[in-house]
Amino acid sequence: MNWKLCVAVILATATFLMADGPKGTEPRQAATGYPAHTEINGVAVGASLLTADQARRHFVSDVNRCCLVVEVAFYPAKDKPLNVSLNDFVLRVKDSDIAAKPSSAKVIAASLQKKARSDRDVTVYPSYGVTYQSGRTYDPVTGTTQGSGVTQTTGVMVGVGNSGPNPASTDKDRSAMEAELSEKGLPEGIASAPVAGYVYFPISSKKKNAVHQLEYKLGEEKVVLALP
Amino acid sequence: MRILGLSLGFLFLASFLPAYRATAQATPDSAASVTPQTSPASQIQATAQESSNSKKEKDDSSDGGHKLHLRLGGISLGAGYAHFSGPAFYPYGPYDFYPFGWDYSAFWYPWGPYPFFAPSYFAYGSAKGEVRLTAEPKTAEVYLDQAYAGTADKLKDIWLEPGAYDLSVAASGHQAYHRRIYVLSGKSLKINATLLAEVKPGETKDKP
Repeated sequence: MNWKLCVAVILATATFLMADGPKGTEPRQAATGYPAHTEINGVAVGASLLTADQARRHFVSDVNRCCLVVEVAFYPAKDKPLNVSLNDFVLRVKDSDIAAKPSSAKVIAASLQKKARSDRDVTVYPSYGVTYQSGRTYDPVTGTTQGSGVTQTTGVMVGVGNSGPNPASTDKDRSAMEAELSEKGLPEGIASAPVAGYVYFPISSKKKNAVHQLEYKLGEEKVVLALP
Repeated sequence: MRILGLSLGFLFLASFLPAYRATAQATPDSAASVTPQTSPASQIQATAQESSNSKKEKDDSSDGGHKLHLRLGGISLGAGYAHFSGPAFYPYGPYDFYPFGWDYSAFWYPWGPYPFFAPSYFAYGSAKGEVRLTAEPKTAEVYLDQAYAGTADKLKDIWLEPGAYDLSVAASGHQAYHRRIYVLSGKSLKINATLLAEVKPGETKDKP
């Protein structure tokens, strides 16, 4: 193979990986900096469930519409790299059967685009009319004559539809949302230094006081964190 | 990409030209031979006849004496050379794989090292998203995906295609501001970039 082509392929692959790979978030000083934290076998884990308001501030994508976002951080033990995998996570709603595994950025972005597309504006136009009539008119149906007076009419018109495309509903939007969710997501793979990032669970919790708990399979052990 | 071209062309002009029929074919001798044997009246007749004959000959020559001539009208010779090494059109180079897309959106600034955006690039569009930028100092330079966009005071409202961008705001004597932004159509993103003054080595903030 031509060496120039080799260099081009290596650069392209490196750039692709650097661009599309999750970078996550900046881990806090220690796992204790997160509302929920624990330590097992020298590995410290911290987690924080984002409120709807926090999710709105941290994401341009409207993640509140489809899922719950948990920021997770791992602090591996010295000289003991840790294999981080999204498959090892489960989020449960306490005292219920509801549980979910994390969804990928691609799935979440597609879901958000679909919801944005299906949104329709409904506009209500109330109407009210006042009519004054003078003189006498003959009503052929009833055979009576009606005198002058004031007539009032009321009504409501309902318009359904949009004048243009909905916000964040195009394919370019989906790509942008996917990029955002992916780049802010928890990086998977071997971690020898602290890593942090967001994990997206497709649960739309309608209960206000629902308590969630995050489970993570750390080797043989199972880590359970109650998320306040 | 280099293109070297050489062209050579010939131009032929085709024209119909009236052929010169040899006057010898018109037999002027026949008229001369008649003249001495005729009376003045007949001379006049003969002269008249001669003139009518020569007229007839002229008519004959115009009717049936066309020839096709090809004439060399001109020669053109040309050479051309084109060279372009811009990132957008260089098909096999590493720039084509640049992930953030400035090479599709920005133009190379021809007199400097930075690519720049066309003025209409940030104009409003129904399929675009808005970025409201507030920066301090106001004359700070704004870069989008490493391409120069303008100064902050003139970029308060930027309309961008949906996507992910690297936004940088820089001013001399200040620490640069960098942020990855995500733009969605129909949505507005507010950014406040207040640049902190650069602290030189050995210099402390708390001066008496």
